Amino acid sequence: MVHYSQRARLFDQVARGVCFFCAFLLVIVIIAVIIFISSKAFNVFFEPGGTNVRTFFTVDNWDPTGVNDPTGNGKPSFGAFGLILGSVVTTLGAMIIVTPFALGTAVYFTEMAPKWLVSILKPLIEIFTGIPSVVVGVLGLTLLVPFLTRVAAPLTGGLATAGYGWGAAILVLVIMVLPTTLSIAIDALHAVPQEVREASLSLGSTRWQMMSRAIIPAASTGLGTAVVLGLARAIGETLAVALVLQGNSLPQRLFSLTAFFQPNVNITMVIARDFGETSGVSQDAYWTLAFILLVISFLFICISRYLASRSVYK
Amino acid sequence: MSTQSAPQVALSSGGSARSIEQARLLRSLHIKNAIASSILWFITMLVAATFVAIIISLIWTGAPALTNLSFYGTGVQGIAPELFNTFYILILTELFLFPISLAAAIFLVEYSRQGRLTTIIHFAAETLAGVPSLVLGMFGFLVFSSDLHLSYSRLAGALTLLCLNFPLALRLFEDALSSVSRELHEGGLALGATRWHTIRTIVLPSALPGIITGLILTAGKIVGEAAALLFTMGLFNPANVFTLDPTLASDTLTTRLYYIKGVGAGSSGLTSSQETLLAAGISAVLILLLLLINIAARSVGRLIQRRLTAA
Repeated sequence: MVHYSQRARLFDQVARGVCFFCAFLLVIVIIAVIIFISSKAFNVFFEPGGTNVRTFFTVDNWDPTGVNDPTGNGKPSFGAFGLILGSVVTTLGAMIIVTPFALGTAVYFTEMAPKWLVSILKPLIEIFTGIPSVVVGVLGLTLLVPFLTRVAAPLTGGLATAGYGWGAAILVLVIMVLPTTLSIAIDALHAVPQEVREASLSLGSTRWQMMSRAIIPAASTGLGTAVVLGLARAIGETLAVALVLQGNSLPQRLFSLTAFFQPNVNITMVIARDFGETSGVSQDAYWTLAFILLVISFLFICISRYLASRSVYK
Repeated sequence: MSTQSAPQVALSSGGSARSIEQARLLRSLHIKNAIASSILWFITMLVAATFVAIIISLIWTGAPALTNLSFYGTGVQGIAPELFNTFYILILTELFLFPISLAAAIFLVEYSRQGRLTTIIHFAAETLAGVPSLVLGMFGFLVFSSDLHLSYSRLAGALTLLCLNFPLALRLFEDALSSVSRELHEGGLALGATRWHTIRTIVLPSALPGIITGLILTAGKIVGEAAALLFTMGLFNPANVFTLDPTLASDTLTTRLYYIKGVGAGSSGLTSSQETLLAAGISAVLILLLLLINIAARSVGRLIQRRLTAA
């Protein structure tokens, strides 16, 4: 009997150890990701044939392999300004559209929607949070781009490649990011206790007063988290955006509406398209881009954690 | 009489002024309420209609390909190798992902106390969940493909997908385990069973529906992933694609789709209209798989629950 219980206790210890190792693996993986990517991130600034930080962040001429060098000497250039600007513009543009739609739908969904609508919307949101990004990209390519080509024809003067670019990328990102933001926002609103609603209604407020003066302020940090996590998702979104951008540099006239309807660039597109075929110094430039993405998404996660730590209802 | 009625008149006129004001306020409140409600209704309907329209248009445009038999073949217009690879990589990834993340969830829910360690692990999980899949794909290329000499292979792809889906699986399994009632669990411990014995005989069986649902939901993520596989599994199939060799490079439905409409458009050995048809077909297959997985995740958990509680 004593023997048996000793064995059981030993088993317990072993199981505990194995489970601990598996959980700690998560910490090991994220540290490995940070170390491996940052170990490669700065090579391009120090190696011969590389570039300096200033050129990297201010010049718009991305050609690390030098195949597009106009002089024909194959001289590489590492100006990533256009890529970074592309990522920032598409991400912000998408979130400006997503935020009102996601928050509005979330409020209607939690406070007012009839049962049948909830039972339709819930599985739809779940399916779309997991929709493959390449499927959305192909859909954008076959439906959205031809449509935008026609819409933008008066602006671009019937350019054949019009339709690709930031405009299409923003709309594709909206489809990719909306479900994520929406489901986090719904969770945040569900976390507000029923008593808050009842208290507000019993004071004689209308439904809209209840929502705008009681529920939304109470859930504001959670709604903020939803938007921030949407931003994090948008900046890292790859294939959907890559398929509808299809450019090599920023368009000629950047400060006009036509810039949204011409082939354009962002960070993730050039990595997906070109990273596999590079080596040496030109590959190091792509590691710097990956590092930028990693840092930005890490910042977003920190902001969302800070917001979550300040929320009243969890 | 008149001296008495004067204040009454003043009172009643004051009252009517107030009631008019009240009525006006009430009306404006109700109008605002109605406007806001209808705007919210409109937004929600727009979002729902967009979602439905996307699903219908994907299946509609894919239907011509889906009804064509050569679409399921091994030729250049067929997706048989990609279907095989997709399920192969799904099973290979789950072989790593399921036990590891379940064990991690057991540690966090059952063994460890709430403290600094669990905070660190949860922070790590959130941070990893926020890393873009493309960046994780590059990490997989660097560590698994280059440093561990796996080159472009199914094994490298599966290990990368393990890193990518670990945080999601952990959260789903944690939810499943922590939904087991405290009393049931403490009852086991009070009977003198070790923690592991309690977990094995009480917690895991009660959490089984949630665990199966979690497993199916991670399967959906794995089937739909592409960016993380670009640099770890490659975009092409060798001749002996229908073997279980984990060192083979291979493509999946998603990476094939990216190839024929993205980097390989025009050079894939297909005409432009064939490319479009094939892409529509693959998109439809992917969305149908996703629908199937979603329905399965809903019904399987409920089915097991019914079996368990009836038995």
